[in-house]
Amino acid sequence: MIADANSLPNGVQLKADVCVVGGGPAGIALTLALSERGFSVVLLESGQLKADEKTQSLYEGEVANERLHSPPDKYRQRRLGGSTAIWGGRCMPLDPIDFETRSQVPDSGWPISYADLLPYYPQANALAEAGRFSYNADDALDPQVGPMIRGFKSTRINTNGLERFSCLTHFGSRYAKRLQLAPGVNVLLGANCTAVQLQPDGRAVSSLEVTTLQGIRFSVSPRAAVLATGGLETARLLLASRDVTPAGVGNSHDVVGRYYMCHIAGNVGTLTVHGPTNSVRHGYEVAPEGTYCRRRLSATASEQRRLGLANAVARLHFPRITDPAHRNGVLSGLFLARKLISYEYSKRLNDGHSTTLGTYGRHLLNLATDSLDTTAFLAHWLTHRTFAERKFPSVILRNRTNRFSLELHGEQRPLASSRVTLTDKVDVLGMPKLRVDWHYSSADIDSVQRTLDLLATEFELSGMAHLDYNRDTLEEDLMRFGAYGGHHIGTARMGRDIRTSVVNADCQVHSVLNLFIAGSAVFPTSSQANPTLTLIAMSLRLGSHLAQRLGTSQTAASLGESA
Amino acid sequence: MKVLVLGASGYIGKRLLSTLKSTSWASPVGASRKREQDTSANARWIQVDSRDVTALTAALKGFDAVVNCVAGDARSISEGARGLVRAALAAQCPRIIHLSTMSVYGSAEGIVHEDALLKPDIGWYGQAKCDAEIHVGDFVRQGGEAVVLRPGCVFGPGSHLWVGRVARWLHARRLGDLGLAGDGWSNLVHINDVCQAVPAALRIPVLPNKFQVFNLAAPDSPRWNDYFVDLAIEIKATPVRRKGPSQLQFDAWLAGPPLKVAQSVFNYLGNQRARLPEPISPGLLRLWRQHIFLDSTSATKELGLGWTPYAFGLKSSAAWFCEKKGPCDQVCDEAKCTH
Repeated sequence: MIADANSLPNGVQLKADVCVVGGGPAGIALTLALSERGFSVVLLESGQLKADEKTQSLYEGEVANERLHSPPDKYRQRRLGGSTAIWGGRCMPLDPIDFETRSQVPDSGWPISYADLLPYYPQANALAEAGRFSYNADDALDPQVGPMIRGFKSTRINTNGLERFSCLTHFGSRYAKRLQLAPGVNVLLGANCTAVQLQPDGRAVSSLEVTTLQGIRFSVSPRAAVLATGGLETARLLLASRDVTPAGVGNSHDVVGRYYMCHIAGNVGTLTVHGPTNSVRHGYEVAPEGTYCRRRLSATASEQRRLGLANAVARLHFPRITDPAHRNGVLSGLFLARKLISYEYSKRLNDGHSTTLGTYGRHLLNLATDSLDTTAFLAHWLTHRTFAERKFPSVILRNRTNRFSLELHGEQRPLASSRVTLTDKVDVLGMPKLRVDWHYSSADIDSVQRTLDLLATEFELSGMAHLDYNRDTLEEDLMRFGAYGGHHIGTARMGRDIRTSVVNADCQVHSVLNLFIAGSAVFPTSSQANPTLTLIAMSLRLGSHLAQRLGTSQTAASLGESA
Repeated sequence: MKVLVLGASGYIGKRLLSTLKSTSWASPVGASRKREQDTSANARWIQVDSRDVTALTAALKGFDAVVNCVAGDARSISEGARGLVRAALAAQCPRIIHLSTMSVYGSAEGIVHEDALLKPDIGWYGQAKCDAEIHVGDFVRQGGEAVVLRPGCVFGPGSHLWVGRVARWLHARRLGDLGLAGDGWSNLVHINDVCQAVPAALRIPVLPNKFQVFNLAAPDSPRWNDYFVDLAIEIKATPVRRKGPSQLQFDAWLAGPPLKVAQSVFNYLGNQRARLPEPISPGLLRLWRQHIFLDSTSATKELGLGWTPYAFGLKSSAAWFCEKKGPCDQVCDEAKCTH
């Protein structure tokens, strides 16, 4: 069932086998998985089904450098379904190499392997409505679909790796009915967990303290508690729960909030492909099950090891939108309409430079001189995105020149100094606000540079294309918009060593026997991959572990037990 | 055991007759309002209308059991069951196996066990099937033995309802991945499993005054969306379209009624109706989004059913469709099919 927490009597103490905090993709996937196994679950969700300004403002906080990182209330949605309400839907699994301890990535290495997670990926794919779990073009696409660049072959570069796209599935609206009907599940909306209350010895959770914006207070005493509140909020809740452990829950070694990662991303260089334009497939393909897919370029795992590269992918992309020199009406239209687009999707249309009247004029001229293409684009966008059930994922331009930029998306090295902390300011519920101090390292930029060099070499050797980029402006190109928004990774990292990690291989907080974390907070490294698919798979894996750990259900779902 | 199979010219009845014929212990006889005889089953045939109590009583003399597979309109279902009960009592036929349906649970959602209340709230078919079960209950109260089987959607090679027309809708891109509108459980059950359930139901001991009921749905039957996408891929109706609720509503509420009328007119004129697109009824839209999951644990345990794996049912159904076997007269482009 789904109920509003404000309908509960003040002071009530609820019981359940598992209490999941956070109704985003991780929390929803876990809750449904536990219900299928016969366990009772209380799912605490701060928001409602629709967005609510007052609830969203609970995410407000500070950032150390606004040029490097968005404010904490952006790219996150505090409502049922979490940030899938606004996500871009890009799905792909981590690569096996991501789980390895790599000398080129200090503090890398997961305590689990790709094989441990693999059984859970297909179901994660299904929940994300991203089609089959198949991420190789040879397997996923019709054999008649051509390669990315006809004639380009390399043993050092993968060209057949795919990313797939969700519908875009909003987990709140898509799975509300399943949650409503799931046996043993009580979803409480408007329920903000404000503290993880430990037993006096600090070895177990005794209760989760909950408050609504209307002032109802209650607690949940579960057999196991799971924080699924996202990479930033998980750290906030652990650090703010200081009654028994003054440094915060699970933070005896000052690791909570550290190693905070996003992705290194930006548009770089010019790739010129020789030959006719129809020899390049730079846009989206459609898999038989209807999913949009797109190929990416990446260094093979052996090349990453040999050259000491962090993981990264590149897509064939269009020129920088803000610069009217591209003479493209569609891009200029996007630039001129940027104020009508949400913060999250317009961020990369604002590069920080002031826009002169001359720039506006040149963009308008582009619109006028390229009106046919612009009209065709708009028609396609309306039919395939605005009014389509499966949304066309992003802007793709017609290839007229065989010239592309490379859109890079790369792993950043985990840094203890990149962290989130609590400030002295509190929100209306009395919770300390977050301060985000995100850092990257010069080694991240250097790794991207050497990946580009590898690509350039291989294109040159094949004779099929030429890649040119400016080393001197590479860091500026990659950091023009700061950290890639919305990927909040690593603030409660997984590991075997309690001095450098927060949770173990089962996602259990090392020092607290019945406290678990679901979500990208536990990723020790960031991979090239967008985190959503993997955090869903990790949640499903956690569901299996909890089922094993708890044995059989001992607590019937109830909302009426008094304290 | 002498068994009369009523409704033996239908999809289930025909297969059941053949299954019973292959056993060493059953002597099945087919019965139907139609004159048609099932030659493939090589079984005896009686032409009888189950609403004609006198004729049915005469037909039932000497039989140990009767299996009621009668389909058709509301009167055939409901009054046919009432007539059957009267005839069985008069002819002293001790046992009725009654094929009911999950529709008797109406709009119920969640996991549904056999003891759930009947809910005739989703149209004439569910109402008629509920009425039929009430009549069968009268048979039990008057000393007869009855086993009621409530299958979900019976599919497999030869299934026009759940393979043929669905495949045609997929090819026409009128169906696909329906998102929320196709999130309900399909409760598919393979025709072979239904045909195994009936012989088991004929032979299990039934306690006096016990109204024995079994849900029949394969435990691994998927949600409708998964079935539609899987079948579309098998029959190469790809790429699968994501259909929105407004498109479905348009198909069911605006295109459906004129198609239905046209179909009736063609039928009246004796013309081939298969040339017309088949309407998607509003009832189907309701079914595809209904989160009802039939619990078939009792059938597994007490009837000893080993369920046909979904993957096998899917592939064999798709193969049948692509090979144009059965009543499917819409040409599938064989060059496109994998089978």
